[in-house]
Amino acid sequence: MLGKLIKYEFRATGRVMLPALGVLTVLVLLANLSVRLLDSRLSSFLTVLLVLVLIATFVAVVAAELMPIIIMIVRFHKNLLANEGYLMHTLPASVHSLVWAKLIVSLVWLLATNLVIVLLGGLSVMHLAQMNLAQLLAGFPSLEELRRMLASVGLNMGDFYLVLAELALIIILSGLVSCLHFYAAMALGHTFTRRKGLMSVLCFVGISFAFSLITNLLGIQEVEYLNTVTVVTVRGGLNVLHGTMGKSFFYLLAQGALLYAATVFGLQKKLNLA
Amino acid sequence: MAILECKNLSKHYGKVAALEGVDLSIEPGRVVGLLGPNGSGKTTFIKLVNGLLTPTAGEVLIEGSRPGPASKALVAYLPDRDFLADWMTVEQQLRFFADFYKDFDAEKAKEMLARLGIDPAQRFKTLSKGTREKVQLILVMSRKARLYLLDEPIGGVDPATRDFILDTIIRNYNPEAAVIISTHLISDVESVLDEVIFLKEGRVLLHEAADSIRETQGTSVDRYFREVFKC
Amino acid sequence: MDWTFRGDQPIYAQLMQRIKQGIVSGDLPPGSRLPSVRELATEAGVNPNTMQRALQELEREGMVYSQRTAGRFVTEDVKQIERAKRAFAAEHIRVFLEGMGSLGYDRAEILALLQEEKEDAHGNFGM
Repeated sequence: MLGKLIKYEFRATGRVMLPALGVLTVLVLLANLSVRLLDSRLSSFLTVLLVLVLIATFVAVVAAELMPIIIMIVRFHKNLLANEGYLMHTLPASVHSLVWAKLIVSLVWLLATNLVIVLLGGLSVMHLAQMNLAQLLAGFPSLEELRRMLASVGLNMGDFYLVLAELALIIILSGLVSCLHFYAAMALGHTFTRRKGLMSVLCFVGISFAFSLITNLLGIQEVEYLNTVTVVTVRGGLNVLHGTMGKSFFYLLAQGALLYAATVFGLQKKLNLA
Repeated sequence: MAILECKNLSKHYGKVAALEGVDLSIEPGRVVGLLGPNGSGKTTFIKLVNGLLTPTAGEVLIEGSRPGPASKALVAYLPDRDFLADWMTVEQQLRFFADFYKDFDAEKAKEMLARLGIDPAQRFKTLSKGTREKVQLILVMSRKARLYLLDEPIGGVDPATRDFILDTIIRNYNPEAAVIISTHLISDVESVLDEVIFLKEGRVLLHEAADSIRETQGTSVDRYFREVFKC
Repeated sequence: MDWTFRGDQPIYAQLMQRIKQGIVSGDLPPGSRLPSVRELATEAGVNPNTMQRALQELEREGMVYSQRTAGRFVTEDVKQIERAKRAFAAEHIRVFLEGMGSLGYDRAEILALLQEEKEDAHGNFGM
C-alpha cells in the first residue's frame, strides 16, 4: 500500500513541481544569458527586457524555496481533508501509510528543490566567471588537502564523514519535522466543525509557540536546519559538536514523534470531513 | 455471519446525538433502504460503517471486524459528492481503483463506460456533473465487495440516469453481498429494496421487509414513510 | 411486458400476477423456458430476491416448475393455465359488475349494453 500511495503522491505533486523546477531552470539560464548580453550599446528596450528577466529570475529563486512547502500544504489539504478524503480514508490503507507517503514525497521535493538551486547556482557561477567544471571544483579543497588539514589539528577523515552523516540525518529529520509541523496543524485544525482553516492556522501558531518555549526552557541552541555546524579546531571541540548534534537529533525526534501522533490522531479518531 | 452488525452504536457531537443506540444486523444478499429525513443520521451511520467517523459509544462490525484497512477492502462506498482526484483521466481513475482494490473488475467497468459512451481519455474535471456521477457509480459498482454503501445515489440526477443507477444495482446483485442505499427519494427505489430502515433523529424507528410493510399497512413504503414522518 | 407497480400491494404478489397474465395470454407459452431470475428482475426493475419469491410462489401454485440446472419453465398443464385464465376472467367480471352496479345498471341493462357493444364493433369487442 505504501508504495502505491507514494507512486500516486509523486504523480500528483510532480505535475506541479517538475514544471516549476523546469521554469526555474529556464529562467536561471536566461538570466545568465541576459547578464552576458547586457551591454551599454544595447537599445533601451532590450536592456529593460533583460533586466526584467533578471528580476523575474530573482523572484523565481525566492519562490522556488517556498514552492515545496506550499505544494505540501495544498496537497495535504486537498487529498486528505477535502472531498478526496472520502476516497483516501476509505482505501484499504492505514492512516500511517497515508501520512508517511506524504512525508516521504514532501521531503524528497524539499531536498530536490534545494539541490536544483545549488546546482543552478554552481552553473551560474561557472557561466558568469567563465570557468569550467574542473576550475570550479578547484576552488574547493581536494580530499587529500582536507585530510592534511584535519590531521594538523588531530582529526581524521572518519571524523569528517561522521559529522557529514550526522548533518545529513539532522537535515532529513528537520525536514520531516517541518512537514509534520504543517500536517499536525492542519489535521488538528480540521477536527473542528467550523472555521477549519482558521483553526489550522491557530494550531500552527500554537505549535510553533509551544516548541520555541520548550527550546528556550531546555537551553538547546541552534536546533534549526544547518545552524548546528560550528568550526572545530580541537578534538574536544569536536566532541562538543557531537554532543550538540546528538541533543538536536533527539529533540527533533521527540518533536517529530509528538507531531506525528497529533497528525494521526486528527486523521483517525477525530476525522470529521465536511 | 451477518455482513454488518451494529451494537448500541452512537455518535455524539458535544451534546447533540447524531446517532443514538443503533442496534441492527444486515444479512448477505439484502438490498436495504436507509430512509429518513435530512439530518436523521443516515450519512453519520454510513460514515461510521466505512470508518470516516469513530463511534462515541457502541460498536460497528463488518463481517466481524471493526472498521480498519481490512474492512475497507470489503466495503464499496459511493459518497454523495465528487470524491475522485479531478486531475486524473477516467482511465487513470480505473487503474487507481484496480491498484488499490483487489476485488475491482476493470473489464466490467470499461464495458459499462463504453455502453454509456464515456471516453476514458477525458479528464475527470472536464466531465459534466451527470457524467461524473455515472463514472463514480461505475467504479464503485465494479468492485466485488461484500458491502455496498450508496449515499443518496439518485438525488439530483435526471430520470434516465436514475434508471441506469437502479438497473446497475439490480444487475450487480450478489447473494453474498449486501447493499445499503441511503435516500429520501423513496418511491423511485422502493421496488429494489428487500428491507427498509426508518431513521428518525438518530434512532432506528423500524427495520422491516418492504413487502411486509405493504402487506400489513396496505400502502407503499413511500406512503407509509410520509405518514410516519408527517410534520 | 408492462412492469408498473402499485404501491399498496406486496411487490412479489404483483409480480406473480404479471407473470401469470403472461402465461395465460400466451406471451409465455406452455413449457417455454423463463428467463433467469436476474434477467427478469432487471427487466421488471425489482429486487432479485422479490422476483425469486414470486417465482417460488408460482411454483407452489403449479404455474411454473424448475429443473435443477436447466432453469424454470412454464407448466405444460393446459388445464392449470385454463383455470388461471378463468380466475382472471372471474376477477375482471366481478370488477366490471361492481362498477356497472355502482352506476345503477341492473343485470338486464348490462346484458343489453354488452349486446350493443358486440354489434357495433363488428365482432371485435372495442379495444
